[in-house]
Order: sequence, then C-alpha cells, then structure tokens
Amino acid sequence: MANGGTQSRKYRLQGAGLDLALPYLMLAPGLLIVLGVLVYPLWDGLRASTKVYRYGSVVADVGMQNYIKLWSDPQFLNSLWVTVEFVALSVTFEAILGFALALFCLREFRGIRLLRTILIIPMVITPVVVAIVFRLIYASDAGMLTAISEWMGGGQVQILGSPVKAFIGLVVLDVWEWTPLMFLILLAGLQSLPHEPFEAARVDGAGNWRVFADLTFPMMRPVLAIAIVLRTIDAFGTFDQVFVLTRGGPGEATRLVSIYGYDTAFKFQQTGYAAALFVTIGLVVLALAFSAVRLLRRVDAS
Amino acid sequence: MNSRLARIGVMSAVLAIVLLPIYWLVSTSLKSNREITQEGTLYPHVPTLDNYIRLFTEKQFGAYLTNSLVVTFFSVAVALVAGAMGAYAIARFRLPFAMERKVGLFLLTLRIVPPVVILIPVYLLMLKLGLLDSWLGLIATYTAFNITFCVWMMESFFREIPVDLEEAAMVDGDSRFGAFRRITLPLAAPGLAATAIFAVLVTFNEFLFALALTATPRAMTMPRGTATLIGRIDTDWASMSAAGVIGALPIVFFALLVQRHLVRGLTMGAVK
Repeated sequence: MANGGTQSRKYRLQGAGLDLALPYLMLAPGLLIVLGVLVYPLWDGLRASTKVYRYGSVVADVGMQNYIKLWSDPQFLNSLWVTVEFVALSVTFEAILGFALALFCLREFRGIRLLRTILIIPMVITPVVVAIVFRLIYASDAGMLTAISEWMGGGQVQILGSPVKAFIGLVVLDVWEWTPLMFLILLAGLQSLPHEPFEAARVDGAGNWRVFADLTFPMMRPVLAIAIVLRTIDAFGTFDQVFVLTRGGPGEATRLVSIYGYDTAFKFQQTGYAAALFVTIGLVVLALAFSAVRLLRRVDAS
Repeated sequence: MNSRLARIGVMSAVLAIVLLPIYWLVSTSLKSNREITQEGTLYPHVPTLDNYIRLFTEKQFGAYLTNSLVVTFFSVAVALVAGAMGAYAIARFRLPFAMERKVGLFLLTLRIVPPVVILIPVYLLMLKLGLLDSWLGLIATYTAFNITFCVWMMESFFREIPVDLEEAAMVDGDSRFGAFRRITLPLAAPGLAATAIFAVLVTFNEFLFALALTATPRAMTMPRGTATLIGRIDTDWASMSAAGVIGALPIVFFALLVQRHLVRGLTMGAVK
C-alpha cells in the first residue's frame, strides 16, 4: 500500500481494496442522518409550501399562490420589517460596543481574565432563561427597574406594555446577550494584528485617533465584516427570546418573522402558507450569506 | 493614574451590566411570591428555598433534567463520531468530481439556513413516524444539526495535522482507517473536545424544536419545561425565576469549567 512512489501522494493515500471505499464509508453515516432528518424534510417543506392544509391534511394544490400571497400579507410584511429593524439595531450596537471593549482590553492588565470569564455568561445561558431574566427586569410588578424606581421614590416602570419600549427592550436583551461574542471575536482579531505598522506609526508621532482610523480599523475590516455577517445571520432566526419575553406583542411590535411563521403553522394551522414563509426566509438568509461571502472575497482581493 | 481610573470604571460598569440581571434572577428565586410582587424588596428579606423544592416536587423538573441530559448526550456523541469521520474524509480524500468538497459546501449551506426554516417539515416527519414527544425524535433532530456543525469544525482541525504522520503509520503496516483512529484522532483530541463542548452548549439550550416536538414531561427538555411556567395573565414569578436558575446553572457551570476550549470554539471560523 505504501509503494505508490513519487507519482501521486493521493493515489498512495487512497490505497486499494477496502481502502478505496473508505472515504465513502466514512462520509456515509453523517450524510445519511443529515439527508434523512434535514434534507428530506427540506424537500418535503418545499412540496408543502405549494399546498393548502386544513386540520393537518392537504385540501388543495395551489402552486406558487402561497408565495405570491406573502407579499400582499400586511402581517408578513410587518414582521419582515420588524425583523430587519431588530437585526440592524442589535448588530450595530453589538459591533460598536464589542469593538470599543476589545480595543479597551487589548493591553493585558490585571482583571482581564475575570472580565472574559464574566462575559462568557450571557452567551452561554439558555436563551429561554435570558428572556426570563429580562422579563424579571422589565415586569411592572416584580421587575428590577420598578424596584429600583420605587426605592428612589418613583413609581412603577412599564416596558413590555408599550410597543416602542417593548421593541427597545428586546434589542437591549439581544445586545446584552451577544455583545460578548462580538467582543471575543474582535479581541482575537486585534491580538492577531502585526505589531510593526503600529510601532512605525508611533515613531512617526501619530496620535491615538490617527492610528485607529489609518491602521486599526482598515486592518480589522475583514474580521469585523465576518463577525457582523455571522451575527446578522444568527439574529435573523431569533425565536426563543421573543417567544418568552413578549410572544410578539404588544400587538405586532416585536413579532419577528420566525414568531409569525410559528404562529401561522401551529396556532392558525396554515401549514402550507407557513412552509412558504419559511422557505422564503431561508432563501433570503442564504442570499444574504452568499453576497456577504462575495463581498468579503472582493475585500480580500483588493 | 488617569487611565487606571478609566480602566476600573469600565470594568465595574461591564461587570454590573452583566451581573446585575443575573443577581436579580437569583435574588427573586429566593423570595416568596408575596415578597416579589407586593414588597418589591431589593434583596430577599426572608430567603427561602421553597421555590426550588416546588419545582422538583410539583413541576417535574427532575424529568426535564433527565430528558435534557439523555438527549444532549446521545445526540452529541453520535454527531461527534459521524461528524469526525465525515470531516476526515472531506479533509483528506480527493474523490471524483470533487465530491468531498461539494458535500462540505452542502453541509455548510445547511448550517447557514436558520433551523426555524425546516421546523414544519421536521414536525410533519416526526408526526408520520410517531416520534413526537419522544427522546428519539429529539435525538435524531439534534444529531443531524450537530453533524453539520461538527463536520465543518472538525475538518479544519484535521487539516492542521500533517499527513506525514499517517503515512508513516501506514508504512508500518497500519490500514488507512487504523491510521485515522490511532494517529489522527488522538492528535485532533483538543479540536474534538472544543467541538463537543460547543455542541453540548447548543443542544442543551435548544428550545424551538423542543417546543414543537414535545408536549409532556415524557420528553420535554429543560428549556421547554421552563417555558411551561410562563403564564399569560398571572405569572408565578417565584417558580419562574427558580426555574431560570435551575435551567441555566448546569450549562453555565459547564461553560465556565471548559471556558478555554469554549472561547476557541465560539470565535473559530472568524479568526484563524
């Protein structure tokens, strides 16, 4: 088996006999599970999205009608808009805060390890529990904000009852939960930058701001872009936190597409329509991801 | 001196922002419902463990915890074995039509799609197979999700290990698979650990599929069970906060225990 000589390492590595089948044998278990549990349902979902269901059984075949209907459904359009607003606001704040904190922590100092340890907590806590934590902060009767306000002589604080405040409350939750991830990624990125340009700039007498604008930021752009893309894709699918915190309310103020789709499927039993909704969301996210990869490649090349 | 003051200021602000909400959760869980809603105290004046005891005696949190542990263990274990083998095949072999690369790209694509997209068809599938509200249904679903992730993460770990070592083992008479098992796998152990840790974290915390696929304490996981306490009108804050602590404690403890690997896993892919 090891007599392949110099001609091709690949031939030698692949060997003969049972070894020839080895790559396929090694790929098979994982692929079979994924095909059975993810891909077949995905295909099934595509089929379901062209049908109309009533009480769990198909009553009509409507082709692309479900997809067309989506774009004139005010509730869907609203949920899409709420999602875009939520993602844009949360990710922007997370990127700014995470970057600022990473810059701040770049120089090793006492306490940085403690800081990192503490910052892991928000992102590893079960999202459902994160939502409970924030309900306990916002609640008008048992909430931390109310308790603090009363302690200072004020009255009850209402957050989840008002559309605007509930939405902001949700963004705050997401920023609390995910800024640490931004921070960790960006800190790792900062630590991997070469030292020489910075030393040279210092020798030339560049101030903090100049160094940041001319060196740090341009050099960090790829890492920053990747971190933002990762978070954006992830935030688009946010479900747990909203489900527990507001259930989409008050009204439709915090109803993200995921929540609307879930309700359409399981509360209103419109399985086919909901399937079309989710297929659309999947395509949007994939398009987003692929155009982001394209963009990153171009940034890399230039 | 000035920068030191600023440092202390920022540090304390960050610590307060992260820890105060958690303090409030723990503190609420030690109060009675009366103290929570009517007195609005800043710390438990009459601390009690009743809320926790009630979770296990009246609300079946023992069952939820068992379900979570079983489901997490099996789905991560199976995904690690299947995923490591698949990742190795993709990292090392060159197949006709660049098949291995296409499979890799395909799995990555599946990973990018938000899980909620296939919620309905997975639900319909489990309904058809009679696997709703069972361990097996959840394990199958989580295993599949974990595989897409394990393959992607393990592949890069395998690529970092030099091929020469395997070749040497094969010169000494090992089979290809033997070389993988005895040489490459042990070398990739830290990567395997980081992958497993991340998979445990994600699986233990999963809520959406648990919500759709389970309905009774027979299969409900911790996050799913916790959500049953969330009332529409009257909220039992005491139970809910205790459930939050119980639900988060195992995973936070676990995460802090293995934090070095975790940081590597969380930031991997973004930074080399």
